[in-house]
Amino acid sequence: MSNKQKVPVTILTGFLGSGKTTLLNRILSEEHGKKIAVIENEYGEVGIDQGLVINADEEVFEMSNGCICCTVRGDLIRVLGNLMKRRDKFDYVLVETTGLADPGPVAQTFFMDDEIREEFSLDGIVTLVDAAHIEQQLGRSDESSEQVAFADVLVLNKTDLVTDESLDNLESRLRDMNRMARFIRSKQADVSIDTVLNLSAFDLDQVLKRRPTFLEPEYPFEWTGVYSLEKGRYELSLEEGPDPTMSLVLLSNQGKDETALNTGAESCVRLYAEKEQPINPGDIVPVGKHVSLQLQSEGTKSFLIDVDKARDIGLFTQHTAEEFNLKITKVKASNADDQNVSTIPPIAERVWVAEHEHDDEVGSFAIERVGDVDPEKLNRWLSRLLSEKGVDIFRTKGFISYAGESRRIVFQGVHMLFTAQPDKEWGNEPRHNQLVFIGRNLDEAEMSREFDKCLV
Amino acid sequence: MSGIEAFSPKGMLHEGWSAQAEDYAIACGWALQGKTFLVGDVAGGLYAFEGKSGKLIWQTRNTHKGGLLAMSIHPDGNAFATAGQDGHVYLWESHEGKSTNDLELGKGWVEHIKWSPDGKFLAVVFTKYVYIFDKKGKERWRSKAHPSTVSAIAWSNSNELATACYGQVTFFDVVSDKINQKLEWRGSLVSMVLSPNGDIVACGSQDNSVHFWRRSTDQDSEMTGYPGKPSHLAFDQTGTVLATGGSDRVTVWSFQGDGPEGTVPGELMLHTEPISCLAFSHSGMLLASGARDGSVFSWFLQKDGQGDPVGGAFAGDLVSQIAWHPDDTALAAINANGGVTVWDFKVRTKTVPQGFG
Repeated sequence: MSNKQKVPVTILTGFLGSGKTTLLNRILSEEHGKKIAVIENEYGEVGIDQGLVINADEEVFEMSNGCICCTVRGDLIRVLGNLMKRRDKFDYVLVETTGLADPGPVAQTFFMDDEIREEFSLDGIVTLVDAAHIEQQLGRSDESSEQVAFADVLVLNKTDLVTDESLDNLESRLRDMNRMARFIRSKQADVSIDTVLNLSAFDLDQVLKRRPTFLEPEYPFEWTGVYSLEKGRYELSLEEGPDPTMSLVLLSNQGKDETALNTGAESCVRLYAEKEQPINPGDIVPVGKHVSLQLQSEGTKSFLIDVDKARDIGLFTQHTAEEFNLKITKVKASNADDQNVSTIPPIAERVWVAEHEHDDEVGSFAIERVGDVDPEKLNRWLSRLLSEKGVDIFRTKGFISYAGESRRIVFQGVHMLFTAQPDKEWGNEPRHNQLVFIGRNLDEAEMSREFDKCLV
Repeated sequence: MSGIEAFSPKGMLHEGWSAQAEDYAIACGWALQGKTFLVGDVAGGLYAFEGKSGKLIWQTRNTHKGGLLAMSIHPDGNAFATAGQDGHVYLWESHEGKSTNDLELGKGWVEHIKWSPDGKFLAVVFTKYVYIFDKKGKERWRSKAHPSTVSAIAWSNSNELATACYGQVTFFDVVSDKINQKLEWRGSLVSMVLSPNGDIVACGSQDNSVHFWRRSTDQDSEMTGYPGKPSHLAFDQTGTVLATGGSDRVTVWSFQGDGPEGTVPGELMLHTEPISCLAFSHSGMLLASGARDGSVFSWFLQKDGQGDPVGGAFAGDLVSQIAWHPDDTALAAINANGGVTVWDFKVRTKTVPQGFG
């Protein structure tokens, strides 16, 4: 049974007017070589003429036990149950939900119902977003934020109706809500078909191959500037900023290319983990130390940097340079009468994954740790977590290294349901763990702490 | 198929005949007093086989565009009805397979149809509605919209129809157009059977349980602990035992005495994959069960729900339906690969069978 080819299913969600039917028609006309069945919950005005279209009312079935993870979509079980009898005649199934659909029960149907699970595999959830209206929708309904949170692919559609700047803001807001999704921009749902079909999005290996950075860590610093300095004394000056203190690490010999910046960032993560040393204006900034600049006094605050010979230095700061109007200037010899103090611009700058302070309740984060976990402890914690918070945890995805197990354990979950399956051999790869959670009001610090307790 | 290898008929099941439909065989039944065996496949193919020999009498292709979903044979055996994804119900005569009527319900699937016991009415489920047609195809009654798509129907007598949908079972008097009873329960009911006297309603539920009500006392109970959905249920002709699927064993509840509440069900274990169909013989306590592994067994049951196998056979692929011959001398099975098999059902030794006949 297990080697039988399962029919992939893609779910298209998105508010009314986001362009689902347009995308559907595009898929059907471009993939005309394939036999595709379409289950339509929204009776759109646009006629879909290719493929087999089955109209079915969305029927969300809750169970008497009140368990949210038992909530399934009765219409899908019924229709797919019959379609599978002619499975040799279908290559693909597309489900177009109504704008107000909760994606949870849709996804759960593919985990909960044995007969459906045996014949179909949920390939991915594609959510279309009307770039011009999503901001309003997010404020008004839980469904729209849940559709964003559940998505494997987020299509920002109707981009011609908004400015690039607001698109960037929108994307960064949505990215905070769902770090797992791939983002695509389109005008009239004119996306390349292979970005929405056959994603194997519920196959974690595929996800990692396609988006190796989807677990990009959040650094404790937001900004890096690289300065090319001659031998001498320099002044690091800051104006009034948002906080009375700011953490900083100064690295000597910082390269300016991407690799060097990343290497520098990684070593700084370790330095940032050490207790910070407070330094006051007028003090010299030590090299390779986590310091906390004391900025309580009014006006411009200056710290000193001594450079022993010509080199490129790196500043890794908790906030961006802009926020404090951070500048580096050369300190002139006191007898010089040249009063023109010139600011030295950085030769490279990098803003790291910034923690935007949106007030969206829906968010996502990743736990990334090296080492092995104790299977029993992890199971106990996850079971408890999902039974207590399962309602608010939309999706869980990741892999774990079990002590004494030669293979990776892949995790996959929708609300309270999760599966853990052994995957490929670790081989020589260093043992590590990556878990992504997407949900509402998640306590990242608490969950990370609990996870750490499961480490061996 | 895992866990099972082909085996020759055993016990009271004997080689009979076999035939092949062109696609997944989804519905079947005996017509013309058992002289003809009718089969429908999901592609809309219809077949009539000679009951004794398996010779093909007639065949029709592509009846329902999109596919055939259901078939119901009229109690007199001379006519039958089919329904499909095209939103149509066709009426047919059994002898030559001529279509006698075409009822168009609309854009949507017709998944369930059932003749009333006296053959006067045909109940048709169309999405959230149930229609009643007479034998001539004239619409006689139509329900109001149910809260969700109707998932099962059953006649409790010739005028009263039970419908199941998410959250409720409703009893309609289709002649005087009124609701006789409504039984509510928050759950997705996927299957329904009534005891022959119409008092007990049993429903399989999506949450792996069987829920039942006694209409006369309003008492209801829930039987949990199934590993899967009990999509298949069957009452014996006396209403003493209820056989249920939901796993690779047949679970049999006995309604003797104060049961089945608080009793331990009988469990019939020989199949290696979940049960896919159940049927009781027309007389006596003989149960036939088919499973996803292609195995078919017949069982002799006691009133307490315990039972012993009396025959076994291999149908080759997921058994989609089984049907006892009207005089219980043969058992027919159809499968997911289009296979049609009919076994003779008789004792192998010279001993006179006792307790059933």
